[in-house]
Amino acid sequence: MPGQPFRSVLILFIVLLVLESGIAYGAAGPGPEDRQNQRWFEDVTHKAGILSRHHTRRFNNPYAEIMQGYTKLGAAVAVADFDRDGFEDIFVTDSCATCKNHLYHNNGDFTFTDVAEKAGVANGNDEENASSGALWFDFNNDGFPDLLVVRFGHPILYLNLGNGKFRDVTKASGLDRYMNAIKAIAFDYDNDGYVDLFIGSYFQPINIFHPGTPRFFPESFETAKNGGGVTVFHNNKDGTFTDVTEISGIHTTGWTLDLGHGDANNDGFEDLYVANDFGTDRFYVNNGNGTFTDKTESAIGFDTKKGMNVDWGDFDNDGLLDIYVTNITDDYMREGNFLWHNNGNLTFTDISRETGTDDTGWGWAGKFFDYDNDGWLDLYVVNGWVSGGKESYVPDIFEMVTRPGVDFADARNWPPIGNKSLSGYQKKRLFHNENGHIFKDEAARHGLDSTKDGRGIAVADFDNDGRLDLFVTNADDEPFLYRNILPTGAHWIGFLLEGSKSNSAAVGAQIRLKIGKQTYLRYVNGGNGFASQSTNRVHFGLGKNTRIDAIEVRWPSGMKQNLPVLPVDHWYKLVEADTTTNIQPWEPKR
Amino acid sequence: MNRKPYSHFLVVLFLMGVLFSAVRASDSDYQEAVKALGAKDYATALRYLESAVGGDPDNVRYASDYRQAVIRSKDFDRSLQFFEKLVSAHPDSANVHLNFGFAYVDKIPVAGSITQVILANNALKEFTKAVELKESWIAYYTRGMSYLFWPKVFGRAAFGVADLKKAMEIQKSGPRRPYHVKTYIGLGDGYWKMDDSEKARSIWQEGLKEFPDNANLKARLTQQGDQLKATIEAGFDPSKRVDTDLRDLWANSNN
Repeated sequence: MPGQPFRSVLILFIVLLVLESGIAYGAAGPGPEDRQNQRWFEDVTHKAGILSRHHTRRFNNPYAEIMQGYTKLGAAVAVADFDRDGFEDIFVTDSCATCKNHLYHNNGDFTFTDVAEKAGVANGNDEENASSGALWFDFNNDGFPDLLVVRFGHPILYLNLGNGKFRDVTKASGLDRYMNAIKAIAFDYDNDGYVDLFIGSYFQPINIFHPGTPRFFPESFETAKNGGGVTVFHNNKDGTFTDVTEISGIHTTGWTLDLGHGDANNDGFEDLYVANDFGTDRFYVNNGNGTFTDKTESAIGFDTKKGMNVDWGDFDNDGLLDIYVTNITDDYMREGNFLWHNNGNLTFTDISRETGTDDTGWGWAGKFFDYDNDGWLDLYVVNGWVSGGKESYVPDIFEMVTRPGVDFADARNWPPIGNKSLSGYQKKRLFHNENGHIFKDEAARHGLDSTKDGRGIAVADFDNDGRLDLFVTNADDEPFLYRNILPTGAHWIGFLLEGSKSNSAAVGAQIRLKIGKQTYLRYVNGGNGFASQSTNRVHFGLGKNTRIDAIEVRWPSGMKQNLPVLPVDHWYKLVEADTTTNIQPWEPKR
Repeated sequence: MNRKPYSHFLVVLFLMGVLFSAVRASDSDYQEAVKALGAKDYATALRYLESAVGGDPDNVRYASDYRQAVIRSKDFDRSLQFFEKLVSAHPDSANVHLNFGFAYVDKIPVAGSITQVILANNALKEFTKAVELKESWIAYYTRGMSYLFWPKVFGRAAFGVADLKKAMEIQKSGPRRPYHVKTYIGLGDGYWKMDDSEKARSIWQEGLKEFPDNANLKARLTQQGDQLKATIEAGFDPSKRVDTDLRDLWANSNN
């Protein structure tokens, strides 16, 4: 039997391989004590080939030194599988006049290659425009996500040609107008099968590179209404958009930093939350007839805080989407965040204090995601405004604030920040959801407590292993790519949705899983989260559950689809109205 | 010429009469206000209390009760406007300045974060005027505590400690009052805010000798680290209402 020794070696090799994979991610994970101390995220930024860093725009005008303290923005990230190879890619913005934006193509092995130049999407900055945000959205329903780069200046709409290249179609699309935009989301507010565009702008639409007036700063710290507000563009289904802000009922001129959509009352129409800096956030209910009604007063009340981020998620698994909003919390300004618990009647109650999620410093992006696959949405929040020298900028700003009769709108009254710090060097927070009641900060344990000036968070499963990874942008600094290396055997299931009657990316689609008496709701969002867009795949952590009793998909078209019971620990691709009952696990093309 | 002393006497008598009748009117207004408050008729109560305070601006009780009624009615701007006028009419009344300062403080919990700063700053100015006009335990204690609310970056804890030490001196020179325990707590907190935990503990210990049943002092002396920090900072949370009711002053005093 000359082949026997070779076969034994082979068997031994296979056994070793199986054992190794079991250790890495298997049912036989470490004991509870070990798990408590383990780090479940690995910083793979450089190893993965993410080598860029962000550069804040420096202005060259009479107010440049003052603007420096209020424009440390533009470090954004947007995730989508632009080439439909089954692996999520990453678009990252930079902001200096000569800086390039980056399109990191996912090589499928947790390494990335910057293909922005080759794809034709690198040139987002020049003397008159500074990139500030990005959004993938399939505006023509061809299945390939197109790319919108919003800027302080004119936005750029890139049409995805489907061959790895993009074409600038801004002018033809009707989006070519000056906006000091910082955020865009896309969802189909009128359920006509095409996603529409909602753009949030910070400054009013004056040319901030060469302002003709010094009066372009916030007129108030608490009720400012002289910002850029929200612009609504309806998708005409022919590659063009029409500004429908006036008739949509979305009327706000606040200093908008973020927009987030979700169906608050489960009526099949997406509602909108607007986070405004220097003043009142807004909540708009979708009337279902192409218009919205401002329900701020009854839904959330009028706040005077500094709204930075909006994300929607059902953190307590009660079947209703809740909302997380970051504000400023520091020893000189104790605003506290909002965790708006959805009461089910288009009103919300802030339970951030009760849940321990109120203090995240000077908050920026905050994202719901289930990092340990236990079935409860956790929260990651980045923070920090300006980490400069040892001297604090707080006394300077308070000197201005307490000066009688000062005109805040006049930039000349604001003190330059120089090399001072303002809420700098703050530690990021990873809030673990403890069964929908309270959250416990686990950032330090998992190495996610960087003190860089964080801005955006993109959540995605870059290696399709069912464990959600993170991409974090930092102002004037390198980003982080954190790989989720969760070792436990917690189960999961995930879905890639494709609309047919609904918009192609199925933005707004909801999936409800039923396990025993518990229902889990997750949905496809069109770019929620400050300076970021996460995956539009739908991911569920299942904990110990290996069997799902029922799966229901509610498509934006109104169609409801009940799926057969599916094996867990796989991604599945679902196509609207596809009646196939033999649904097989999805695998990437490569 | 013989009539001159007589006329002087008459003038003095007249002025005393005016003063007395004003005080009496104030007292009668105050009684009406108490009745209205009992009926939760805040509009009437505030009207009578304003009349009472206006007639007797140095009356600590009237002004304090007025502000407490304002807190219940939530009409903070009315109170600020009232005291602003009263300060103009009585610029030398320490009590009016003190209560004007408290009126700013009373509004802080319902204000936005930046307005809170402006209100706190305005309050501090009024408290300073009160100290300058009349050095008293309440004036020093109030301004001292007010300094301690400011974030560390402003370096005002040292001013707070200095004022609270003055308050301590004043209280030690007279009969002991139950509210004097607050000075021990505040002064200790001030030292803690200046990172002098040893001095803070010694002040709290001294306080506990004087007031052995005080739970706040006991808590500070039994806690350490984050727990102690949380206890102290809970007392300086601008979103929580500061107790500016001065009833302790007359409830526990012979004055």
